[in-house]
Amino acid sequence: MRSQSPLGLSMKILLLGILDAAVVWAGVGLGTQNAYALLSLLLLGGVGLNIAILSRRAYPLRYLLPGLLVLFGMVVYPILYNVYISFTNLQTGNLLQKSQVIQLLENRYTPAPEETVYSYQAYLSDKDDLLLLLTDEQGTHFLSQGKTLEPLRPDDPRLVTQDGTTGLDVPGYHAVTGPALYQLLPRLETLAIPVDDATLRLSGIRQFKTTIKQYRYDPKTDRLVDLQTGVWYTPVDGRFTAPDGKTIEPGFQTWVGLRNFVRIFSSAAIGKDFLRVFLWTVVWATLSVFFSFSLGLSFALLLNDRKLHLRLVYRTLLLVPYVMPVFISAFVWRGMFNENFGIFNRILGDLFNLQIPWLTNAMWARASLIIINVWLSFPYMMLISLGALQSIPDQLYEAARVDGAGSWRRFWTITLPLLMISLAPLLIGSFAFAFNNFTLIYLVTAGRPAVLGAATPAGATDILISWTYRISFQGGSGNNYGLAAAISILIFIMIATISAIGFRMSRHLEEVYG
Amino acid sequence: MKKLLLLVLIIALVGVVGAAQTKLTIFADDTRTPLLRDLGAQFTADTGVEVEVVEYAWNDLRSAYVTSTQAGEGPDIVIGAHDWVGEYVANGLVEPIDLGKKVADFSPAALEAFTVNGTLYGLPYASENLALVYDKDLVPTPPRTWDGLLAICRAVADPEKPMYGLAFQNQAGNFYQFFPFLSAAGGYIFGYDAKGALNPCDVGIANDGAIFGATLYQSMLNEGLVPSGVDWDTLNALVEGHNAAMYITGPWLIGAIKSAGINYGITQIPPIKGPNGAYNVPKVFTGVQGFMVNSFSENKTIAMDFLMNYVATMDTMVALMNLGDRAPAYLPAVTQAGPDILAFSQQAAFGVPMPSIPAMASIWQEGGNALDLINNGTDPATALKQAQDLILTAVDCK
Repeated sequence: MRSQSPLGLSMKILLLGILDAAVVWAGVGLGTQNAYALLSLLLLGGVGLNIAILSRRAYPLRYLLPGLLVLFGMVVYPILYNVYISFTNLQTGNLLQKSQVIQLLENRYTPAPEETVYSYQAYLSDKDDLLLLLTDEQGTHFLSQGKTLEPLRPDDPRLVTQDGTTGLDVPGYHAVTGPALYQLLPRLETLAIPVDDATLRLSGIRQFKTTIKQYRYDPKTDRLVDLQTGVWYTPVDGRFTAPDGKTIEPGFQTWVGLRNFVRIFSSAAIGKDFLRVFLWTVVWATLSVFFSFSLGLSFALLLNDRKLHLRLVYRTLLLVPYVMPVFISAFVWRGMFNENFGIFNRILGDLFNLQIPWLTNAMWARASLIIINVWLSFPYMMLISLGALQSIPDQLYEAARVDGAGSWRRFWTITLPLLMISLAPLLIGSFAFAFNNFTLIYLVTAGRPAVLGAATPAGATDILISWTYRISFQGGSGNNYGLAAAISILIFIMIATISAIGFRMSRHLEEVYG
Repeated sequence: MKKLLLLVLIIALVGVVGAAQTKLTIFADDTRTPLLRDLGAQFTADTGVEVEVVEYAWNDLRSAYVTSTQAGEGPDIVIGAHDWVGEYVANGLVEPIDLGKKVADFSPAALEAFTVNGTLYGLPYASENLALVYDKDLVPTPPRTWDGLLAICRAVADPEKPMYGLAFQNQAGNFYQFFPFLSAAGGYIFGYDAKGALNPCDVGIANDGAIFGATLYQSMLNEGLVPSGVDWDTLNALVEGHNAAMYITGPWLIGAIKSAGINYGITQIPPIKGPNGAYNVPKVFTGVQGFMVNSFSENKTIAMDFLMNYVATMDTMVALMNLGDRAPAYLPAVTQAGPDILAFSQQAAFGVPMPSIPAMASIWQEGGNALDLINNGTDPATALKQAQDLILTAVDCK
């Protein structure tokens, strides 16, 4: 390692100092928002950064750390969060944190039975101390610092009447009006001044009103009391629940252990549709990869032929489907497959008087999807095949030709096996991607058409991940994130298993041919 | 690389900074954002409170609001459809709204739509619903009954051209469009419990009336009077090519109809003769749009001031009405409404607000699947009964 110039060293220390300051600053921000998970991550990253830059022994880390940090932030953290969610009841109605719900309920007020409205004038001291002059409908004046209400006698010396309006004259305090009052409103909004049985709260730009506080939370016993009825509510399953079973909306997130997983395995409905959806998912992924690889490899073989003119032009044109955003391609294809106005049915109708229900019939919809996916993914297959073809030494072909092998024979015994060594892992990757290709399914058919006799919203073209989406977010009573997270973990396990088997098989290939 | 790291950190940190100055934040859709920005500038000039309007596509507003509010970074005011309110209330994300004396200025139906369990959660500005839009060149006098509509359809239908009698979005499980058929002879979504609240365990999409209407629809499909597989793009293509005589659609299609040069009229969907011989107008869903206030907002008073004194005014409400050509929820603005808006409003008299309770998610899902099955030739009674069973199971009533 080269020694550093004084300038370089001081630059390094300066930059590191700025970074550390930034980390501390962000840390304070996260700490005040109680985001402890992110805070500990940030600190870990910060300390790691310092070690990487200051320690000579950790020199290689300098190049690895940014990648590792991004990997952790973008991949590992979301996975861990997903696992965490699968053990909670996060869903519509149980969206907020418990502390947020307590904050909401503690701030819930109902109008008082005999409502009293107070107009007010706010005063601030130089030290931002607040003083309120409140006037009720009878014209009685009250003084408040925000905590209590203190009646003023009409002849109180602090009261000054000017131009028909009564104000306060307290040394050191000035009246707040106009734009300054608007800046003060958020502070006034937090006030809750007790008056007899009621609570005085800001109810408009220029007025306070008596209201009744509805709930009080007791942190010691972790219970909530309805101040009107005196009923105590205890948290049960993410909802404050009274002894008679009555619950208060909204509920909050809470840990439910394995309940989401138990629900998947014990639900007869989910079990009934699972096999059908799983089979189609496997068929879809397999056929997509098979056809797109076959097509891509065919084009690659053609383009690899040196006798072919304008190879670059063809290659560029063939890449177009890959370069187009899926969103656009999917909509264009959906339009072309349209039953009444799509280009395919127009042509088929004119030539053969055929009207194919491309996207509305179950089998045709599946075929359409595979056609679209092959169109979208064959250029990728072509690209990787082209690259891999270059790596096969020409001598092998020459030797084969000398031995009298025809081109067909050369392809099956030399090209394909040698390609597979480098391409098999990529094909497994493509399979896993197709297995989870939610975007395309959702954009083209959204899992439709529906299937008669389905026990869950599982359509004919639903793959596991789109089915999960429909169960969790488009049925029942709104969104069920906990259930979705649990199912996606199961899908992850499935794909991991399939991929592991695939990789093992491809390693076997390597041993034979490599 | 250090520079890059620094940059990344700085970008990450910008999000952590909080604003000290009081500021009103509004989430709005792209159509209404410019108007609200102008109002905001006026509000800032009058009160010194800065107003920031964040623009979203209409379809992204709902999730953007839920996600940001849950994280404690939501806006003070949000625009939305009334059928999102059920989810918002169940999650505790919106604050009750007290319109005070101005309550009399609003259409009671629009207020009802934004009311959950007896509490108002929104300040409505517009409502929209389906009606019958017809091509005056092909249909000189609009049909008075469904039989009349069928006669017109048969007269104009021509599969070669193609020309269809009646077109509407019937693909991709569009239950919203399907509901008028079910409701005409007595189908309904949810019944009411003893307290007058919607009862998710009383689903009426597979009763005799609903099956009657669905069967009628399927027979029209089989006869070639209605094109199948019509999604939004197809509908626009039909309009563009003048391929249909009548459409069941909402104000959102009028722009396309005008630019296609169709000499159009808007009228009520004609009454359908039910199994008992009585004529019933198909009931359409009404969707109401409005403003809501975040329950975690620290500027609720200012937000309400903005809504009551800057939004709930004649000028703003007329501007909002003309922005989307939607019927105003603010009654004084009705006097300024054009003929199209008034024509859609007539159908609204036979409208039911889309239920906003969270169980509605199941209706959209399974009701849409039933339409899918009926389109594919399944017997309507079987399809609708399956949907009803699945809904009751999904919302834990079975």
